[in-house]
Parts: sequence; C-alpha cells; structure tokens
Amino acid sequence: TLDTVTDFANKKVVIFAVPGAFTPTCSAQHLPGYLAKVGELKAKGVDLIIGTSSNDFFVLDAWGKQQGVTDKILLVSDANGELGRATGLTLDLTSKGLGPGRLTRFAAVVVDGKVTYLEQEPNPGEVSVSGVDAVLAAL
Amino acid sequence: MVIKVGDVFPDAVLTYIPYDAANPDACGLPQQLKTHEAFKGKKVVLFAVPGAFTPTCSEEHMPGYVSGAQDLRAKGAEIVACVSSNDQFVMHAWGKSYNVKDDILMLSDANGELGGKLGLVNDGTARRMGPIRLARFAIIIDNLKVTYVGVEPAPGVTVSGFPAVMAKL
Repeated sequence: TLDTVTDFANKKVVIFAVPGAFTPTCSAQHLPGYLAKVGELKAKGVDLIIGTSSNDFFVLDAWGKQQGVTDKILLVSDANGELGRATGLTLDLTSKGLGPGRLTRFAAVVVDGKVTYLEQEPNPGEVSVSGVDAVLAAL
Repeated sequence: MVIKVGDVFPDAVLTYIPYDAANPDACGLPQQLKTHEAFKGKKVVLFAVPGAFTPTCSEEHMPGYVSGAQDLRAKGAEIVACVSSNDQFVMHAWGKSYNVKDDILMLSDANGELGGKLGLVNDGTARRMGPIRLARFAIIIDNLKVTYVGVEPAPGVTVSGFPAVMAKL
C-alpha cells in the first residue's frame, strides 16, 4: 500500500489520474506522455511519479506492463475511492458504463505534502492541463 | 435472494466493446447489451469472474473457457460470455490478451446491475478492490430460463469452471 501522508513526506511528487486504464485517451495520450518524459521530470527534482485511477491494482499492473512502465511510474489503485472522496475529484460516468466514482483526469504537484499545482481537465477526453507538458511548465 | 435453476434470467444492461475482425487492434466503441434482448431464444453460457487480470481468474478460470469455447458451441451454446464488474475497456483488453476474438463475449457489469439482480455481488473494499465485485459463478440460460447455476463456495474454480458447465450442457 502507499500512504499519501508518510510516503509523500519531504518529497516532490507528481501525481496524475486517469478515469480508466485501457481506455483510449488514457492509453494513447495521457500515460504515454508521462512515460516519455520521466527523465525530464526527474531532472526537475521530482522524486516520485504516480499514476492513479479507480481501477484495481491487478488491472493497473496489467496496464503498466502493456505500456512498458516498469518502475518509472508507480501505478496505484484507488479502487475503494478513498482518494476520490478525500479530494472530491470524482466523475459520475455511470451513463458511460464506467460507474459512479471514477477519478477525473487531473494532475497535481505535491511538495512535502503541500499541493503546489492542481489542474483538472475540463474535457476528460482531452489531455492539456493534466498532461506532462503542463506539469513540467509548473515545476 | 440468489438466482436459482428455473428462474427467469434478469434483464440488465451490460457494456462491451465488440470484436472487429477487420481492425483487431483498434480501440473500439462501447456498445450496450440488454440481456433479455440478446439472450432471447438462445442457449447461453455465462461465467463471471471477480476480477480481470487477477490470478485465479486469469490462470484458472478464463483459460478453460478460452480453449473450450468451441466445444461449448458444438454442444449448442450460441453465446459464451464472460462478465465482471470491470469496465468494458478492461474486459476488452483482458479478452485480447487471450486472443478470444469473438469466441467469448467480454461483458462489463461495472454498475453492478446484473450482479445485484442475481444476488451475486460482493463488496471487495476490504481487499482494496472497490465496492462492487461479482461472485465467481457460471450460469446456463436457455431462452431466458436458468437451467444451471454454479456459484463457487470458496476460492478456486469448480462448479463455475468449463468442465462443470460442459457436463451440464
């Protein structure tokens, strides 16, 4: 398990959330963007890069393997919706068959536990303010 | 109140991404499947897994059906389907990893509608798997009438596995 309080202490963390592993936008645009620029994020002092979604950890593990993530990005599961409830960053995608508690597409920079950047995509089908380039510009 | 032999299989809306033979690697568009509409007049084998990509489901449950789908069809099953509470994108990707093509319909009950109506849905929160998880089971449906129900009493694959269903068809 990853505890956002203890594991983020004294670290610069980039965390991005996807509504769903294996979905088109998340798979083709959002995660690959971060994967390609891990080096640039680390060069700007980022200690931990985390991708999260409300999928369970088995699904995230399979997705990470399919995308070639290895240990560059930590894919963590918020299947119980704890992070979603604590941040309020959830979307009801029941009408799309994806259930009521998906995380929205967002990116955040957390420095020693404090949020220094947080942007939600206004249109979850796109990647702009939650993408790696926006985060790099904010670091 | 759990589904039993002799009951009418419930009507529910499931989602799936159809297999496109012309474009097998494309990210297909999700479609809805209404069970009464899709299963009417047909013999259906439906098996459920708690989670795509999880060990038991991937190593013990699914493979039996993947290799045996044609045998089930030879015995009269017109539809062989797998359902779980994972969403349709995850189910599609999981099916692709076995190269199921259109041998097995990979259905998503992400909202837990079917699971709830069957009385076969569990809360997986304690295992960090979220609040909606289907039990592991297999059901044979003949023109919307349930003719077999095999719900696993414990971890592992017995009454919900391919051999058990083959014997009952």
